[in-house]
Amino acid sequence: MAMTLDGTSGITQMTGSIVMSGSTSGTTTIIPSAVAGTTTVTMPAATGTMMVSGNMPAFSANTVTAQSFGSSTFTKVQYNVELFDTNSNYDPTTNYRFTPTVAGYYQINANVGFTGSAIGFSMIAIYKNGSLYTYGSGIINNTTVGGLCVVSSVISCNGSTDYIEIYAWQSSGGALVLQTGTGNNTFSGAMVRNA
Amino acid sequence: MTLYEKIKTIYPELQDADFLNTIRLQNDSDGKGDYIAKWEHPTLPRPTEEQLSES
Repeated sequence: MAMTLDGTSGITQMTGSIVMSGSTSGTTTIIPSAVAGTTTVTMPAATGTMMVSGNMPAFSANTVTAQSFGSSTFTKVQYNVELFDTNSNYDPTTNYRFTPTVAGYYQINANVGFTGSAIGFSMIAIYKNGSLYTYGSGIINNTTVGGLCVVSSVISCNGSTDYIEIYAWQSSGGALVLQTGTGNNTFSGAMVRNA
Repeated sequence: MTLYEKIKTIYPELQDADFLNTIRLQNDSDGKGDYIAKWEHPTLPRPTEEQLSES
């Protein structure tokens, strides 16, 4: 390693990486870019935890199963196929819920598509910890293209016990099933900033 | 007969909006079926288990 120190700019030239020992154990290594040119990283004038890809959970799941929904009953949507789940925080088999293990604020998105009906309307909702958090869009049912409902919100999660689920509702008077085409029913989320 | 159908039999005057605002029927997709998660209707009392089983 080569390094230049002066009284004005501090470390002005250095080659190689920096390895810092932790206060108790382990090390943190800062490795400069391996490509030519100059790269500048400016630290924000704020105190916080630096977020990198390894501690910013993100997931996406869908379902192409014709899950049945009784009339006028909020029913949990069973998104049972994971597209990606970077931190193993989504459960696609038992509870169909996202339980992020890093505290922070999460962008949550979901949609469901019901088969057609000439009666009533449909809607979708985000549930947090088993209770309604927010409604999404509602749509008047129709027999032509069915009903596609969407919901989106930024939600604070404590990184341990908080969990997010999606429920859907329809009022056709009888049971309706989900459309089974790709893209009709998706549930995704990602951290947008830490706690 | 579903829980919704039983409640509509007991209270046929209920509308769709009632099941969004003051009454919430819920199914957690856990195999335990439908249940009344909230009943805050201003005039109609929550149906009893006996009423539901008879309807």
